[in-house]
Amino acid sequence: MSAELKELESILNVTLPEKLVEEVLKVEEGHFDVLCTAKNAYDLMKIFNEEAGIYHLSTISGIEKEDEFNICYHIQHRIEEEIREVPINFIITKVDKKNPKSPSMFDFFVAAEYYEREIYDFYGIYFENHPFLQRLILPERWPDDVKPMRKEYSWEQVKEITMKITKESLEDK
Amino acid sequence: MTEYRSRFRSLTDGSDAPEDADHHIFIGPQHPWAEEPAHFIIHLKGERVVEADIRIGFNLRGIEKAMENRTWRQNVMLVPRACGICSAVHQNVYVRVVDRLAGVEDQISERARLIRMFSLEAERIHSHILWYGILAHDAGFDTMLHITWRDREIIMDIMEDISGNRVNYSINLPGGVRRDIKPELVPSVRERLKKLRKQVEYHRKVFAEEASIRNRLENVGILTKEDAKKTSPNGPTARGSGLPYDVRKSFPYELYDKIDWDLIYYTEGDVLATTLVRVDETLVSIDIMERCLDQLETTQGELLARVKPRIPAGRYMARAEAPRGEDVHYGIADGTDTPERYKIRAPSLGNIDATLKRMDGEYIADMPVILRSYDPCFSCTNRVMIINENTGEKMILNQDEFARKAIKAKKYNRPFF
Repeated sequence: MSAELKELESILNVTLPEKLVEEVLKVEEGHFDVLCTAKNAYDLMKIFNEEAGIYHLSTISGIEKEDEFNICYHIQHRIEEEIREVPINFIITKVDKKNPKSPSMFDFFVAAEYYEREIYDFYGIYFENHPFLQRLILPERWPDDVKPMRKEYSWEQVKEITMKITKESLEDK
Repeated sequence: MTEYRSRFRSLTDGSDAPEDADHHIFIGPQHPWAEEPAHFIIHLKGERVVEADIRIGFNLRGIEKAMENRTWRQNVMLVPRACGICSAVHQNVYVRVVDRLAGVEDQISERARLIRMFSLEAERIHSHILWYGILAHDAGFDTMLHITWRDREIIMDIMEDISGNRVNYSINLPGGVRRDIKPELVPSVRERLKKLRKQVEYHRKVFAEEASIRNRLENVGILTKEDAKKTSPNGPTARGSGLPYDVRKSFPYELYDKIDWDLIYYTEGDVLATTLVRVDETLVSIDIMERCLDQLETTQGELLARVKPRIPAGRYMARAEAPRGEDVHYGIADGTDTPERYKIRAPSLGNIDATLKRMDGEYIADMPVILRSYDPCFSCTNRVMIINENTGEKMILNQDEFARKAIKAKKYNRPFF
C-alpha cells in the first residue's frame, strides 16, 4: 500500500480497496490523482460518493492518448468545518479506442449528465446507463460520425466541415 | 437522481411535454430578454412552471481545439477570449497551469502576484455591478440599472488607466505580469475606490431595504441546501444557498491566504440571497484591492520570470473563483511547445442544473429574475483607443486601421504617434 493511498484514505476517512484502485498520485499538498480502470470505476465512485460523502463534481475532461482514451472526473472533497476543499482527479484509464465505453456517473452526480454528453459529442465515448445520451453542444447539422476533439481531425478539417454545414443551412432556408 | 432531472425530452415543439402541462413557452435562442444564445423550454400549468429545460450549444467556437494548434505562448492571448467579461480570471488560471508545469511557481515575485490579484478583484467588481444592474432591469426597476452602470464606469476607468483596456486586461503572463502599477497612479486610484465604496454601499441599501425590489426577489426561486448539494452549483449561486465554498478560501491561490478578507454566504437560498452575496462581495473586493495597494507600496520584485517555450510533460488542474463561480482548467503538456490537451470549464455550465431546479413550481412572471440569477454573460468590446501617455493625445481606430498601423510600426520600428 503506497503512502499516497494511505494519506488519501486518512483524509477521506474510508478504506479504498486496493483491487479497485490502480494508482494514487499526489499532485501537491491536498490535491490527488486517483487512477482506475473502467471496470472498477463505478464501484470506486460509489465509495467516494456514499461513504466519503463527496457531492461536488466540478467537470469531466476527455483525454485522448496514443492507444487509449482517458476520462477525468474532477471531484472536490469538502471539509465544512474548515471551509477547505481537497481536489481529486478521478482518472479512468484504458478506455478502448475501437469501442469506447465507460459507466455513467449520473447516479451519484446530477451534473455528470451534461458533462458526459459533452464528451460523447466531442470524443464519441459511450456512457453506459446514461439516461439521455444525446447531442448537447455540436450543431444540429454536424455529421454524426465526426468527433471533432479526436486527434484524427485537424483544425483545418474541422473548419472545413463548419463552413460546409453553414453553407448548407443558408441554402436550405 | 432522476427526480432532479426528469426533463429528458427530445422534441421542442411541445408534443413531448409532461402530461399535466397545458402551456409551453419557448424562449430563445434569439430573444430580446437574453443577450446570450440559449433556448429555454418552459412547460406551464396555468401560471405555474411544471418543468423547465434548456438547450445550449448555439455559440460553439472551438477554443479547446484551437488551443491544441497554437503554442503555449500564443494561447496566453487566446484563453481570455473564452469569456467576454471574466477574461482576466481565465488568463490567470491558464498562467498558473503553465507556471506549475514549467516549474517557475516559486520564482514569481510577491509584487507580480499582488498585481494579478488586483486585476482579478477589479474584474469581480465590474462583473458583479453589471449583473445586479441587469437584475434590477429584469425586475422592472430601470432606475437602478442606470445608477449601477454609471457607477461601474469608475472601476472601468481605473483599470483602463492601469492596463490600457476596459475589459480584456491581459495583465497576467506566465512567470509574472505584463505591466506594473505605477506609484504615481495610486493616490487617484485610492480616491476613486473610496468613491466607489460609497456608491456600492448605497446599492446595498437599495437591494436590502427598498420594498419594490425586495418583493420581486424575496422567497422567489428557493434552492435549498440539500438541493444545492445534489445539483453541484458553484460560486454565488451555491453561496446563496448556504454552501460556504469559495476557491479563494477553500483552496487558496496567489496570495489570498496572506490577505485578510471576509467570506460572504447566505442560507436563505432565494434570488435575493444570491443578489446580496454579490453586492457584499463587491464591497469585500474593494477591501482586497485597497489591501493590495497597501502591500504594493512596500513590496518590490521582478515582474516577469523567464519561462522557456517548451513545457515539460505533465498534467495539472487549476481552479479559480471567477465572478460567476468556479473556473476549472486542466492542462496536459507533452514536452513540446504546444499543449496536448487543454480543457476549460467556465462556471455557467455548472449552474444550469441548480437554476432549472429553482424554477419548479414558480410563477411565469418570476422567470426573468430566476433565469438571470446564474448570471449569463456577454461581451462588449469593439473599439481601440490609443493614448499617448506622455502628451495625452488620443487616436480612435477601427480594426483595419489598427492592423495597418501596427504592421507599419513593427516594420519600421517606430511608435504609433
